[in-house]
Amino acid sequence: MNPLYAPRRRKSKIAMALCLGATIFGLAWLTLILFTLFWNGFAGLSVALFTQMTPPPNAQGGGLLNAIVGSLILTLLGIGIGAPIGVFAGTYMAEYGRFSKITSVIRFINDILLSAPSIIIGLFVYGAVVVPMGGFSGLAGALALAVIALPVVVRTTEDMLLLVPTQLREAAVALGMPRSYMIRKITWRAARVGLVTGLLLAVARVSGETAPLLFTALSNQFWSVDLLKTMANLPVTINNFINNPDPNWKRLAWAGALLITLAVLSLNIVARSLSGGRNPK
Amino acid sequence: MNEMSSAQTMAPNADGVKIAIRNLNFYYGSGNPSLKNVNLSLLTNKVTAFIGPSGCGKSTLLRVLNRMYELYPNQRAEGEVLLDGQNILAPGLDVNLLRARVGMVFQKPTPFPMTIYENIAFGIRLYEKLPKSEMDGRVETALRGAALWGEVKDKLDASGLSLSGGQQQRLCIARTVAIKPEVILFDEPCSALDPISTAKVEELMDEMSTSYTIAIVTHNMQQAARISTKTAFMYMGEMVEMDDTDKMFTSPAQKRTQDYITGRFG
Repeated sequence: MNPLYAPRRRKSKIAMALCLGATIFGLAWLTLILFTLFWNGFAGLSVALFTQMTPPPNAQGGGLLNAIVGSLILTLLGIGIGAPIGVFAGTYMAEYGRFSKITSVIRFINDILLSAPSIIIGLFVYGAVVVPMGGFSGLAGALALAVIALPVVVRTTEDMLLLVPTQLREAAVALGMPRSYMIRKITWRAARVGLVTGLLLAVARVSGETAPLLFTALSNQFWSVDLLKTMANLPVTINNFINNPDPNWKRLAWAGALLITLAVLSLNIVARSLSGGRNPK
Repeated sequence: MNEMSSAQTMAPNADGVKIAIRNLNFYYGSGNPSLKNVNLSLLTNKVTAFIGPSGCGKSTLLRVLNRMYELYPNQRAEGEVLLDGQNILAPGLDVNLLRARVGMVFQKPTPFPMTIYENIAFGIRLYEKLPKSEMDGRVETALRGAALWGEVKDKLDASGLSLSGGQQQRLCIARTVAIKPEVILFDEPCSALDPISTAKVEELMDEMSTSYTIAIVTHNMQQAARISTKTAFMYMGEMVEMDDTDKMFTSPAQKRTQDYITGRFG
């Protein structure tokens, strides 16, 4: 064999082994986490989980109904507030302000917000909403989730719209189409799969957030859909229950964690399959 | 003789002049102009071809005629472009109405992400509110006008993106024709098409030339010779020579034109 070639092959093999090792190391932890979650979570799954309220300490049975419903309300409301603002902001950045300085400033700040620790956002909403309103509330929780969803949606909206070819915009404008009409009918439409994917990812992102809810929606042991009162939700309930020696609470916490994981997993799978099938046919 | 004919075509508002371009300078940002003092006329219901090496300003010139350059900041045009005697570069002019009169077909086919039917109807709806039956008629007329009807009449509900490249380009022509423009600008409309599709589009342009004023940018010398009445040769932002196509390709007045046409540079 060529004397130059043999060492190269050896190095290649070593590099490949290192990469493979790193991959296995990373995946092993993930597998362990998921295995533990499934092992403990499945034990807690029951019909009562979806039909009964969270139990008091040291009681038997009970479920997570109020927390599940609370989480759905908080997530939907948070996305409902954050997503439209995010879509419009992203649209401004990709369409109207594409060449302006302010867009790069917004993008920079948005990236900071995107990576801001969620507990900071919780504290911010605590100071801005909870304190003036005089107490924890579901509304404050939804607002905190909206602030977390916002930068995700801004980012994906801008990215997806930038993927729409310029020629398509020019072709629309060449027909004498006003810009707002062109955006609504052509570019949003061309990017709609990407936009929906962005929304799903935002939902997945906020649905597991615990820290911002600790300071805002808090939790509620009872059934409550009043947005001005504290509201039960899965992440905070899990946080409370898992830290308690009560085995019944621990069981419910694992089951709740499994529910959130399955929900986020399926959202991610849907988002992936949507963006994977983007090729028009 | 040659000077006389070019002077004639440049006469402002003379009979048969659809668009008169006068003292046009164009800038991409600051720096040297990309079009330098261009003067020429497009004749009513004639095909004018623009030839010249890449970067000579042909496409830039075309994009001035419907003010497409305005989509981008820092691009500006100076001088006058008279469409039926009205300066379209004047501030305050409604560019959307201008673009309804001056349509454009691009290099890459750009069907909208909707059905074939909607691709055509969409543009019409911008300007007219028609009952369904009338709209159907207009869509058919436009598709027939673009020699596409026979190929798509059974699948009007299919996505415009499902068509072949050549069909997509004819769909774009149909879409442009459907809103009844007076001038159509073609920016290298065949450069992404195979020879058979090219032949179809050329044939189409030939038919269209009886009812539209056409300006076409092309890198294909034979194409310019086949379809145009007048040919303009541009080089480095300047209009070098413009004359009857026959004359341009047999005995051009300028040496640079001759060199380019015979393939000595460019």
